[in-house]
Amino acid sequence: MIQAEMVEATEFPELSMRHGVSGVPQTTINDGKAHVVGAVPEQNLLAEIQRVVTK
Amino acid sequence: MAQLLNDDIIKQIQEVFAGLKNPVHLMFFGSKHDCPYCDDTRQLVEEVAAISDMLSFAVYDMETDGDLAAKYNVDKAPGLVIAAREEEQITDFGVRLSGIPSGHEFTSLIQDIILVSNRDSGLNPQTRAFLKGLDKPILLQVFVTPT
Repeated sequence: MIQAEMVEATEFPELSMRHGVSGVPQTTINDGKAHVVGAVPEQNLLAEIQRVVTK
Repeated sequence: MAQLLNDDIIKQIQEVFAGLKNPVHLMFFGSKHDCPYCDDTRQLVEEVAAISDMLSFAVYDMETDGDLAAKYNVDKAPGLVIAAREEEQITDFGVRLSGIPSGHEFTSLIQDIILVSNRDSGLNPQTRAFLKGLDKPILLQVFVTPT
């Protein structure tokens, strides 16, 4: 159910631009449903995932 | 092509890989079109895979192996699937690298291999409980730069 993909931003500039990547790391959930900037604690990322699946 | 990993690095990786618990299968997907980092990435992953008997390595092409790429949801080249393996049985944990894992991201490659080998995400119980109940797919794309 979960896929986690590291994306090297400079090699995929179109995708990075589409998701407005300006600082790294940035985690984009379900192709833009949510974005998390920075290396955040596990519960913060979980909260964002929960927000995406419940909306 | 000259070796990418020097003896010092290989020795360090050998030390961490000595603790690998279970086999890991590395599936590389390259492309002959517009993929400046494909050759280096393939070579890098191949050199890493050669360091431990716990690791196996396979090379695929996005176009000629399109069905397999689709099965594993790989849509970028170079793409790498880091999967668990028991004998011939491959188990996908959803771990992917897109682009060359160089610089800081080389550590991500090594850490991902260790994680998959341990068969343990290291996540806390609340996170696991929630994720277990997911009824629709989640794609997490972590954008990074190699420097």
